[in-house]
Amino acid sequence: MKHFTKLAAAALALSVLAGGAAADETEALFVPNLAYRTGPFAATGIPLMNGQRDYALMLNARDGGVGGIKLNFEECETGYNTQKGVECYEKTKGTAIVTQPWSTGITLQVLPKTNVDQIPILAPGYGFSPMADGKVFQWAYNMPGSYWDAASMILKYISDGNLDSLKGKTIAYLHLDHPFGKEPLPYLEKMAADHGFKLEPIPVGLKEMQNQSAQWLQIRRLRPDYVIMWGWGAMNAGAITEAVKTKFPMENFVGTWWSGHDADLNIVGDKGKGYKSISFSRPVLDAPIMADLKKYVYDKGDSLSNDEERSGVFYSRGLVISMILSEAIATAQEHFGKKDIGPADLRWGLENLNITDERLAELGMTGMVAPFKTTCGDHTGHSGGWILEWDGTKFVQASDHLMPDSEVIRPMEVEGAKAYAEANAPWPVNETCSAEAG
Amino acid sequence: MFYDIFIAPFVDMVEAPDFLMQVLWEGLVSGILYALIALGFVLIFRSSRIFNFAQGIMVVFAALTLVGLYAMGVPAWICVILTLGVMFVLAVAIERIVLRPLVGQPDIILFMATIGITLFLIGFGEVIFGGENKVMITEELGIPTGSVLLEPFGGLLILEQKDITAVVVAALLVVGLLVFLNRTRMGRAIRALGDDPQAALSVGISIQTIWVLVWFIAGIIALVTGIAWGARAGVSFALEVIAYKALPVLMLGGLESIAGAIIGGLMIGILEKLFEIYWGQPLLGGNTETWFAFVLALIVLLFRPQGLFGEKIIERV
Repeated sequence: MKHFTKLAAAALALSVLAGGAAADETEALFVPNLAYRTGPFAATGIPLMNGQRDYALMLNARDGGVGGIKLNFEECETGYNTQKGVECYEKTKGTAIVTQPWSTGITLQVLPKTNVDQIPILAPGYGFSPMADGKVFQWAYNMPGSYWDAASMILKYISDGNLDSLKGKTIAYLHLDHPFGKEPLPYLEKMAADHGFKLEPIPVGLKEMQNQSAQWLQIRRLRPDYVIMWGWGAMNAGAITEAVKTKFPMENFVGTWWSGHDADLNIVGDKGKGYKSISFSRPVLDAPIMADLKKYVYDKGDSLSNDEERSGVFYSRGLVISMILSEAIATAQEHFGKKDIGPADLRWGLENLNITDERLAELGMTGMVAPFKTTCGDHTGHSGGWILEWDGTKFVQASDHLMPDSEVIRPMEVEGAKAYAEANAPWPVNETCSAEAG
Repeated sequence: MFYDIFIAPFVDMVEAPDFLMQVLWEGLVSGILYALIALGFVLIFRSSRIFNFAQGIMVVFAALTLVGLYAMGVPAWICVILTLGVMFVLAVAIERIVLRPLVGQPDIILFMATIGITLFLIGFGEVIFGGENKVMITEELGIPTGSVLLEPFGGLLILEQKDITAVVVAALLVVGLLVFLNRTRMGRAIRALGDDPQAALSVGISIQTIWVLVWFIAGIIALVTGIAWGARAGVSFALEVIAYKALPVLMLGGLESIAGAIIGGLMIGILEKLFEIYWGQPLLGGNTETWFAFVLALIVLLFRPQGLFGEKIIERV
């Protein structure tokens, strides 16, 4: 009997503890991040994940979370592997209010699942460009810009705003041989046909990322006027070192926003001067948010980052991405009048975001991202961006604010979304929303 | 089509001989680095019949240790010595903790154990050094970083000094290794253990000592490979992926042959580059290096299952 009493007491204590833990869980919004801090892509993943994580930690420490409820910002390691990413999605979807797949390959895999599971995908600046069409992709968001936006802004920059000036020129498109690298091809091929320039796609296999001599020999033989790079992870450093080696003029070498990582350029230092990258975000080291991060996260020793990383482009972008998520949560909380929102509520928040200059100033993030607005029809927001240039030690702004060519991109997004829905029929469509209105 | 496959590539080669020389040079550099990785596999396989899946991560681990120690303020050449020390400790630990308890187990068990070593080193390396891309201490080690510009046939041939250094060092390493294996007592002991383990044990050769020694030599090769590859595009865990390119080298050259690893590496490095530039890119859209070496190795295996230089194993049943 005595033994039974002890067991009962232990069971009671455990149930109280478990109850407490359960209560804690309901007092936090579960916003998992399908991160990759390991594997061949870790070098570019880590600063982004650190920025995201630090912003969430700061909100929890400074404001008690968002709207009075903390963020449970848990990471599930994918190693940028699509199969592991899908496993992470399945593992976290139960109580999550959002999924952040962090890879175009994973995004494409979970895209159909989110219609069934009714959970929003947040893929800022990556994923499938036609996800912009919110009428078809009800649960997918890639604000503040798509890959087609990035390609459009790069072409605008190198042509000085007049794409017809590219007529007769050759552009080598050096890309990772992966869904991410192939994503801008439809847009670039259309622009090549419309404006008379020659596009030469040059794929880089995953095993060849650090050994691109064949690709750069091809570039040497082609003598292109420009090289546009869609690189990620170890591919960026591999390409930049080969460009230096083959003496390709750096000023004619432009990367996408995932190919502008300070650590990749540090490998070549001064020799990389003039290399450029489009970017939807900018580091602003004296922004008020940085002081709050220092006070609430860095000084407490809670950050996984370091000073050098915090001054870079990718860390700053991680902050912006978490800001987008927290603002969507706040928007949904305000609209629905409750702090404990669910995935469907967050979906409303994500498609009614309005990041204005005033709001950025309130957040202490002026200049870190351009203002943008989403609607039910436009899940991208198309904020535009800037060209950043490597000055030998860091990236500096090298252009005014650029905007993508929405007149060309929007019909392509709608057409691409329609084709996707037809290929994956029956595909649920939000009939109450007009994509064209986006 | 006939012209594109059988004529045009050779016309290109003749019309731009300087470019052909550049392609051959790049192939040679890649090939010698593939050969180095393959050598690590061969040495361990010869002496213990273990297919060491961990050779790739050993390259990463050695390079990360080197740059990690330098980041702590240790002088560059002391870092090299300390890294060699770390690789020796790793060799001892692998022999004591992983291999010794598995003596006598089937080969597949030992192979699985090396997968375990790989996973451990990935996790351990990431905890200690982090996953960020790091700059190899090329100049600090005295490796020249400029280019040599030549003008053969009125064209341009660019030779990176660090690539020249890699080729020279790799060649010296191979020569040193061959001398060690053929002219020293320990080297002959390694070969004896590979040729006939029972006979080697019966004359007093210590299997434990030999295993530590070959894993340490594989560690030295890993360090040299890590420095050479790291100098090209930084040090990160992506280097591990390159090690998989050594698999077709082994298939081609044979798992047991040091000459096979070297010749196989050079053959694959040069042929995959020639194929990519003159056939792959114009006719197949490029990126043929991903599969070319495996197809070549497969063709060789069809005719010589033991590889070009491997020994035919006949087992009595």
